[in-house]
Amino acid sequence: MSHVLGQVEDLREQCREALAKIGSLAALQEERVRFLGKKGEITRLLRTLGTLSPEERPLVGSTVNELRDEMEMAFDAAKMRLEVLEAEKEEERGRLDVTLPCRGRGWGSFHPVVQVMHEVIDVFMGLGYSVALGPEIEDDFHNFEALNIPSYHPARDMQDTFYVEGNRLLRTHTSPVQVRSMLRWGAPLRIICPGKVFRRDSDPTHSPMFHQLEGLLVDREVSIADLKGSLEAFAKAMFGPEVKARYRASYFPFTEPSMEMDVSCVACGGKNPSCRICKGSGWLEISGLGMVHPNVLRAGGIDPTVYNGFAWGMGLDRIALLKYDVRDLRFFFDGDVTFLSRGGMR
Amino acid sequence: MLVSLNWLKELIRLPAGVDEIARRLTMTGCEVEEIRHPGEKLRDIFIGRVLSLEPHPTREGLQVTRVDYGRGQKTCTTAAPNVAVGKLFPYAPPGGVLADGTVLGVRDFDGVLSEGMLLSAEELGIPDVEVEFGLLALPEDAPQGEDCIAWLGLDDVILDLSITPNRGDLLSLVGIARELYGILPGTELLPPEAPALPEGPWPIPFEGITLEDEGCPAYSLGLIRNVRIGPSPVRARVRVSLCGMRPISNVVDATNLAMLFWGQPLHAFDLDRLPARHITVRAARKGETITTLDGKERVLEEEDLLITSGGVAVGLAGVMGGANSEISDDTATVVLEGASFDRVRIGRTSRRMGLHSEAAFRYARGVDRTKALPALAMAMAYMRDFAGGELCGAPLVAGDPREPHRTASLRASTLRTYLMSADMAKASATLERFGFSEVRERREEAARTFAVPASRLDVSIEEDLVEEVARVEGYDTVPARIPPHLYASASLTTLMTALRRLRESAMGRGFVEMITYSFVGPEDLRILRFPEGDRRGNPIAVVNPIAADQSVMRTSLLPGLIKALLRNLRGGFRGPIRMFEQGKVFLRTDDIASSGEEHEEPFYLGGIVFPGRDRRFADDEDFFSVKADVVALCEACAVRPEFVQGEEPFGHKGRTARIRINGKDAGYLLALKPLIGGALDLDAPLYAFEIDLESLVGQVSYQFTEPMRYPAIYRDVSLLVPKGTPAAVVEAEMRRLAGDFLWDVRLFDVYEGEVIPEGYRSLAFSVAYRSAERTLSDEEIEGSHGALRSGLAAGGYALR
Repeated sequence: MSHVLGQVEDLREQCREALAKIGSLAALQEERVRFLGKKGEITRLLRTLGTLSPEERPLVGSTVNELRDEMEMAFDAAKMRLEVLEAEKEEERGRLDVTLPCRGRGWGSFHPVVQVMHEVIDVFMGLGYSVALGPEIEDDFHNFEALNIPSYHPARDMQDTFYVEGNRLLRTHTSPVQVRSMLRWGAPLRIICPGKVFRRDSDPTHSPMFHQLEGLLVDREVSIADLKGSLEAFAKAMFGPEVKARYRASYFPFTEPSMEMDVSCVACGGKNPSCRICKGSGWLEISGLGMVHPNVLRAGGIDPTVYNGFAWGMGLDRIALLKYDVRDLRFFFDGDVTFLSRGGMR
Repeated sequence: MLVSLNWLKELIRLPAGVDEIARRLTMTGCEVEEIRHPGEKLRDIFIGRVLSLEPHPTREGLQVTRVDYGRGQKTCTTAAPNVAVGKLFPYAPPGGVLADGTVLGVRDFDGVLSEGMLLSAEELGIPDVEVEFGLLALPEDAPQGEDCIAWLGLDDVILDLSITPNRGDLLSLVGIARELYGILPGTELLPPEAPALPEGPWPIPFEGITLEDEGCPAYSLGLIRNVRIGPSPVRARVRVSLCGMRPISNVVDATNLAMLFWGQPLHAFDLDRLPARHITVRAARKGETITTLDGKERVLEEEDLLITSGGVAVGLAGVMGGANSEISDDTATVVLEGASFDRVRIGRTSRRMGLHSEAAFRYARGVDRTKALPALAMAMAYMRDFAGGELCGAPLVAGDPREPHRTASLRASTLRTYLMSADMAKASATLERFGFSEVRERREEAARTFAVPASRLDVSIEEDLVEEVARVEGYDTVPARIPPHLYASASLTTLMTALRRLRESAMGRGFVEMITYSFVGPEDLRILRFPEGDRRGNPIAVVNPIAADQSVMRTSLLPGLIKALLRNLRGGFRGPIRMFEQGKVFLRTDDIASSGEEHEEPFYLGGIVFPGRDRRFADDEDFFSVKADVVALCEACAVRPEFVQGEEPFGHKGRTARIRINGKDAGYLLALKPLIGGALDLDAPLYAFEIDLESLVGQVSYQFTEPMRYPAIYRDVSLLVPKGTPAAVVEAEMRRLAGDFLWDVRLFDVYEGEVIPEGYRSLAFSVAYRSAERTLSDEEIEGSHGALRSGLAAGGYALR
């Protein structure tokens, strides 16, 4: 009996050694036949059971069966291991250079000015301002007369106008939309008017075409406080909660009183006397604003003894210049893909 | 407007420093653009007297002088022709510094040591002041040995102010002084030096002044005899120059100084050159001409005001004098005009002629009538002092040189509405410092009435008074609040909603968002070969363009995008380029009579795709990849586009599709005509599309149906189709023939080749049958599919 039990131990050891050496599924199958096949070692061992006494047989038989079960599990485990290895070898052969550039399209890119326009719209929508749009080829009435700028008015010198055929002009500001909206909807009114405007001017800070966003609120007993509240909410949303605002008295024919809003320099916060952005002043001019002139309300068909209101205008291109730190306004309209795609890279 | 702080100090005591003055001016509406220190670099310059003069022993043209400059005597050399013994000149000893920063020392001129320098106007930084070549001659009464920088007034500080068009009153020293008094506490106004006007009748015959047009409500003339025309005294010239004007002559400088001081333009006529001893102010007759003193002949309109004498035009009122009566070197008798003109008329004339003289600039912004006589008095006194003129006789005055009395009222309730607080006492005090005076007879605590100062032509309504109060108090003191009373939720508009969806989708599909100019060049449009009658080839012209390539309004987004593409390619960009733009195009209206509009400006979406030059991606872009973009963009707006074979003058003959949305033509998708691409040096096909956004805006929202619970059964059909028959036509035919169980038809293969007869292609469709109620039986499917096949066969299609 001990003789057979010794063979079982030898066999277990042989199998362990054999499994440790196997490197392929084919070799594994060969070894499996050698140990577990019909003419394999286990079968051979079981055949020797007949040489044992009936008392010994159950114990030795069960020992051999245990060994068989053990071996089968070991072969199964080895098979699984080898299958994974073989599959991974196949994957290895299919290795790609993942650093090759992508195929097809990436994300395109936004235009800084359009992006800023939509962001500003969202801020004012949150304050209840609806979008209103108007024509870009305008007439003298909506662009000037109705805005308290009659033809002789020296304020016309403030804006050099493009004229087109048929005695019409390219709007010099988004303000004509104010008048059109008042005539269309009446009071109360709370609108913003984004869009293109045109002036005969071209240098690093002026483009013959640029973008404005105009705001108008008409209601009863409107205060300068409401104007400040609207614009300061905008400034904080656009330039961060730390930004400070100040107001300088100014003049526009269509508002009275009139003022300009500056925000603390977004680059240096007013701390750098040689700052390129604010030229050391610490402040950036951001918007012209004021309480709507009674003449303008009248031109819009609104009774100025009942209603009053405020309006503001801001240059979206200028905000984009500041926000994206661009030096020359004209870059925006040259269509340089490398420049414009930078928005997509960040 | 340049303001001399030294001069200003004659009108107001200013305890504040210049930076504080500038800050206050800027915050209250008069922006200080620059603070200039004209004599900033000058050091140690004295009034020196030339004691002796002898030629340099060896150097021709050089003289050796001995100069007494109050702190001793020095020897220096000069080559100036106007040096003379006994004369006074600016002198800088060694250590002195010139306007350009040069530090003077001792120089050896062939054995003669020259200490410092006698100076010219240029070396002092005031080249305009020079009247003769050489040194700056100082008058005999200049204090020898004193600081020459201060004596000339070069220690001045000049404020460069940007005056808004409503504040004509600030285009004068007296106006600025009053403004500073109003905005700066602790200042004190000093009475302006007011020379008395001469009295009595004129010693020469003069018939008088006739005012024939209400555009001239007041007109005064002063008489100055026996003037000797020459340069003004040096200090007057310096002042004129520091205030931004060129010194011309003593008579002209006198009028300019008085204008700078009072804001009242004056004009000097040579009496002897006036055609008659009479002045008439009248409206010009249409087509009448005058030659202004800049030598240009001007053709006049009836709105222009004219100064005439003896029926001859001698001045374009308020804008520029006539060449025929201007002051010349031998003028002896001056008549000086101080007039009031209608600002609107002067503004119109000046704008129409593009003639923006100092006078017209001021008149157009408002000059009140009360300034004419004080300004005349000042200029006449200067002419006496500068030119030896003899003032004889009181000025002749026609019309009324007083400004009509005006009042404006301010209610506490208005103040409270605008500023959220109302301190009426403070408001009154503020207004009074600006020269408003309360009309006390009508006083109420909560509503006060003020007489408006004559100079404040900008103030007429209550809001103007609110502004005066608020700008002094400062808008920063007004609280900020989010506007109350929201009546409705904010609307983005359907257009803006579509614009947003489209740009997000386009960017997601690799397009770079562009803004190109709304104006293009005629040449940019010509490239696209629009035929006669295509309104895109007949753009609206800009009347006054900046450049030829921005001289017409775009009728398509394509030219701008192509321009941008070419710029990128010329710049060496090699990768694929996908660009899109959303913007307006400008088209003449087909039928003006019915629409009432001469033009329309629809919003377009445009895009171009250029495959680029990278071989690895050469096959990634073709007509159908771009078609996929167009479909995706439309679907982002809940719209399913149809494509039909079509034409565009700039489209590839066989590769141009019309985009149809809801049965209407909405734009094109095409490969650019190869001839055009070749002309533009494009080495790959360019794909382009344009869609009128109207067809995408405000479409019904997406709809969902319940998911199908029973499976679909698929059958394939392959058929031979003549090449000219579009796949879409075949598909539509199949949908018509397949019966009620048809659920979907999908083209999965197109084949042309050896086994296919000439002129045909094979189209393979996968047809799906499905019911919402049950799983279809084989009989039902075979029935439907059999009907489809026989229908196709009957329709002439060869099934394979």
